[in-house]
Order: sequence, then structure tokens, then C-alpha cells
Amino acid sequence: MKRVVVRTCKWIGLPGATIVISCAALTWLIGCATNKPSGEVAAGTTGKSGAQLWAENCVRCHNIRSPGSLSPAQWEVAMMHMRVRANLTPEEHKKILEFLKSGS
Amino acid sequence: MSRTIPIILNQTIACAFVALICLSFSSAAMAQDTAPPQPSSDYVSRAEYDKLKAEHEAMKQELDALKATVQQMTAGAVPAPVEAPTAKKGVSEEKQVVTVPPEAATEELRQEVETLKTQVKETFPGTTKFLLGGYGTAGFTARSGEDPFFDAAFNAIFLFKMTDRLFFEGELEFEFEDNETTTNLEIAQASYLLNDYMTIGVGRFLNPTNFFVERQHMNWVNKLPDKPLAVYDGLLPESELGGQLRGVIPIGPTKLEYAAFVANAPGLITESDDFSEIGMLDFDNDANFGGHVAVGGHVGFIPIPQLEIGYGIQRSKVGPRDRAVQNILQSADFNFVADSALLKGLINARAQWVWSHVGDFVYDPDGSQGFGPLEFNNNRNGGYAQLSYRPTHIDDDYLKNVEGVFRYDRFNQLHTPVGFDEQRWTIGLNYWVTPSAVLKLAYEFDDKNGGARDQDAFLMQAAVGF
Ligand code: HEC
Repeated sequence: MKRVVVRTCKWIGLPGATIVISCAALTWLIGCATNKPSGEVAAGTTGKSGAQLWAENCVRCHNIRSPGSLSPAQWEVAMMHMRVRANLTPEEHKKILEFLKSGS
Repeated sequence: MSRTIPIILNQTIACAFVALICLSFSSAAMAQDTAPPQPSSDYVSRAEYDKLKAEHEAMKQELDALKATVQQMTAGAVPAPVEAPTAKKGVSEEKQVVTVPPEAATEELRQEVETLKTQVKETFPGTTKFLLGGYGTAGFTARSGEDPFFDAAFNAIFLFKMTDRLFFEGELEFEFEDNETTTNLEIAQASYLLNDYMTIGVGRFLNPTNFFVERQHMNWVNKLPDKPLAVYDGLLPESELGGQLRGVIPIGPTKLEYAAFVANAPGLITESDDFSEIGMLDFDNDANFGGHVAVGGHVGFIPIPQLEIGYGIQRSKVGPRDRAVQNILQSADFNFVADSALLKGLINARAQWVWSHVGDFVYDPDGSQGFGPLEFNNNRNGGYAQLSYRPTHIDDDYLKNVEGVFRYDRFNQLHTPVGFDEQRWTIGLNYWVTPSAVLKLAYEFDDKNGGARDQDAFLMQAAVGF
């Protein structure tokens, strides 16, 4: 076990360790700064509208595309793709799809 | 084309609907004109006549209201007023129309049109279950000490939604580089939604432990013309051939993503004309030389929608069956994307660091390759940190599409046959023509140790996602 820990530390190296530690610190800071009791910044989805979930989730990996850029039938396929790729919850999937279809 | 037909149909349906109302309205009006004060035949009694008259008065009032509504609607929603036929209709038909309260009629009409609109769109052939996506790229690279070159690539992604649970994605890459066109099957994966929080996937899929590869490497997504050292085409495989189980678990207001997979293990390079490759892993080991199986996974924690931190690991044996050694690949990722009112724009901060360990192995045991026997364990690591900002909230139509990017990336492999570490600082300027079409310019400052030559570079790329 000790050997594994020592080895792991060796692989990490200084730049790696610096990045991992700064990211952990930044995560903690952001977590503290945004920990509002109102829950308005929470990742949980219950009670959020389709438009809100769309704005929050779909910008995480790439620029957001407007609902009008695809037809409702095309959104159905793209949203199934994103459900798998981006690990969307069923609620996120349903509400965002409804929002995109209504605006397309 | 597929979008104009439903629109025309919608308009036709709306016109037809209004025509129907106008028709009923005009026939009601005619009935009003022609209804005689005296019964014109023996078949109607006095009592019946009085009843009819009372009903008629009530209808007159309702008709006025309906008239106003129809006028409003024809002015707002329907392109051309429809000529109402003048044929005389029976009283029962008038009654049918005028007994509907005007607000309800409008609402009903609206709903009907909405339903028809959706139905027409959904039954349009060919678009229900298939989507052709992908991206095209054109690039230019001028790296010091090398000949400058142009390159181009086209990635086509075929997406099929077979049922609400079954999905297939296939990606073909056509690349034109160094006077050659290459074709690669990047992805061929069938996914099945087992339940709300679990999806099973089989085939060739993008490596879930590698955040950059799975979610950022596409040229219309990646913010610089080239990809970070070690993370891409470096220490982790881009795709896996096997099966994966993935999903998300909502925990209160937070979310935990997971992915676990079994796949062909990488091959170990024990022979090569290029000595620096000895001890590296061969990720294109589709024939699964060595017969080993890799097991891996990734977890990502999303405490708030803007932030995700993740960790991935893959373990397997590598090398010839009788002398196989341990291989461990690890990755830690950090992603923060926020739309800031204060900074009037979108901020993207991403970082990923990867580690590769290959256990002690004796290369060239009989000395036939001219450098052995040589025993070493191969530990390498590297990664990147990147920050970008785009002033999406400012009023200027051009400036809000401009994005500035800074990236630091590094590859540590001095004590391996490669023999040098490399670090780079890259600054980039992008112009987003649409949310998925971008022009990128970048300059890269390169620094290598171990006596290797620094190679600064100027890079350009145009990418379109569709
Ligand atoms: C976890 C990262 C991630 C998130 C979150 C995400 N996407 Fe994507 N999206 C991708 C990637 C990666 C691709 C490119 C797929 C490829 O090339 O293999 C993509 C592609 C697309 C495409 C192009 C068509 C296609 O399916 O390939 C559309 C449209 C799209 N995303 C819409 C959305 C919408 C809407 C949301 C919000 C629900 C969303 N994305 C959230 C990563 C993400």
C-alpha cells in the first residue's frame, strides 16, 4: 500500500500536483461562494423550467445552439445523443426537449 | 425544405379553419335575414316558433362576440381572408357553432392548430429518427523547423434513434494530410437506456475516462487549433472497443456522473524502428494482441451546474502473455463554465492531467534489436490548463463573437526513451460566426529540455459543426 502511494506521488510530479491542488482549492472556493440556501444555483433540477435547464446544461461543453437550428424531429435525435453523452437526468432530458421542440 | 412544408401546411390548416368559422358565421347571418316572422309552413307550431325566436336572440348576441374574435384572428394570424360560401344552412348547424363561447373557440382553435402542427412535423418522412451531424475542418500550421502545411478533415456522425431506449451513433473521419486521405471509424456504438439512470453501450466508443476526448476534442468545440499534449494522442486512448455502463445519480441539488467499462487492453510496443517508441502503448490494438482486458471508469461530480470535477482510471495487463506487466492510466479533470454578468461574458476554465504507468519490462531481451536487454518501467504524465473568455453580453455585434484563449500544456517524459519534457504556452483569438462555426488563430511558445529543439508555431483553423 505504502509503495503504491509513493509511486503515485512520483507519477504525479510537481506541475501535475500544482494543477490538481489548485483545482481542488478553486472547487472549494466556488462551492463556498455559491452555496446559497435559496438553491437557485444548485445543480438539482426539480422545479426548474426547460429553458432554465437548457441554459444551465447545454453550455457546459460547447456553445449553445438556438432551438430554431433543428426541427423538432431532429432535436429528438440530438437530445437522445446528448442524454447519453452528457449523462442528462430523465427530467432534464424531457424538459429540455419540450423547450427545444416548442421553440423550433 | 423540410421546414417550409409544415409551415405551408400549418397556414393551410389555419385558413381552412377560419373558412369554416366564416362559413358558419355567414350562414348564421343569412338565417337572421331570411328568418320570417311568420311560420312559413304547417310543420312549425307557434310554441316552436317562440322557442326558436328566443334562441335566435341569444345566438345574435353570441355571434357579435364571435364576429369580433374572428376579425381579430384574421387580422393577426391568417394571411388572406377567405371568401365564405353563401349556401343556406340549417338552424341546427348554426346552433352548433354559436353555442361555443368565443374565448373557448379561440383557445380550441389555437390548440387544434398546435396539435396539427406537431403532428405534421412529426410525421414528415425521413427526419423522425435520423440525424446526420459532424464537423468539417480546414487548418494551417507553420512550426519552426518544419515545412508549413495545410490540412483538412471531415467527420460525419450518423445518429439513429431507433426507439425511446435504443440509440446508435457512428462516426467516420476523413482526413486529408500529407497528400493522403485516411478514413477512420471513430465511433460505432449502440446504446440502450436500461432505466432512468443507467445506459449500456457496446461497440467502439470515445474513452469515458478522458474528458477532453469525450467532450472537447471536436474542432467546433475545442477552443484552439491544436490539442493539448499528453491528453490527446498521448497517454490515454481516444476510443475503447468493448462495453460501457454509464449514467447519472442526482444527489439532492448535486449530480454524480459515472461510467464503467471493459475493453480491449492497449498493446505494449516492444519493437520499433524508432527507439523513442519503445515502452509506449499502442492504443490501436484492435486485434487485442496479448489477449488482455482493460477495466476502467470515470466519476464526475457536479456540485453546481457550472462546475464539474472528475477522476478516471483504467487498468490492464499489457505485453506478451507470458511476460505481461501492469498498466495503469489515470486522469483528473476540472471544468468550470460560467456566464458572468460582472465580467459581461462567458468564462471557460478547464484543466486535465493524465498519468500513465507501465510496469518493469525487459525490452530486447536477446539483444537482437541492438539496444537490449534493457529493463525499465515507463512512467509519464502531462496535461493542460486553459482559460477562455468571450464578452457575450456586450452590445457590439462583432466584439461579442470574439474569444480570447490561453492554454498551458505539458508532457513529462524525460526519463523514458523519448528523453525530454515539453511545455507550451499558447495564446489564441477566435471569431464565432455561429455557435458552431469558428475561425481560430493561435501562437504557441514551445520549450523542451533534454537537448530537444524548441518549436514555436503559428496555427490557423476554420471549423464548422453541424
Ligand atoms: C458533457 C458535454 C456536453 C453537454 C453537457 C452537452 N453536449 Fe451537446 N455535444 C457534446 C459533444 C462532445 C458533441 C459532439 C459529438 C460528437 O462529435 O461526437 C455534441 C454535439 C451536439 C449537437 C450536434 C449534433 C449531435 O448530436 O452530435 C447538438 C445539437 C448538441 N450537442 C446539443 C446539446 C444540447 C441541446 C445540450 C443540452 C442538453 C448539450 N448539447 C449538452 C457534448 C455535450
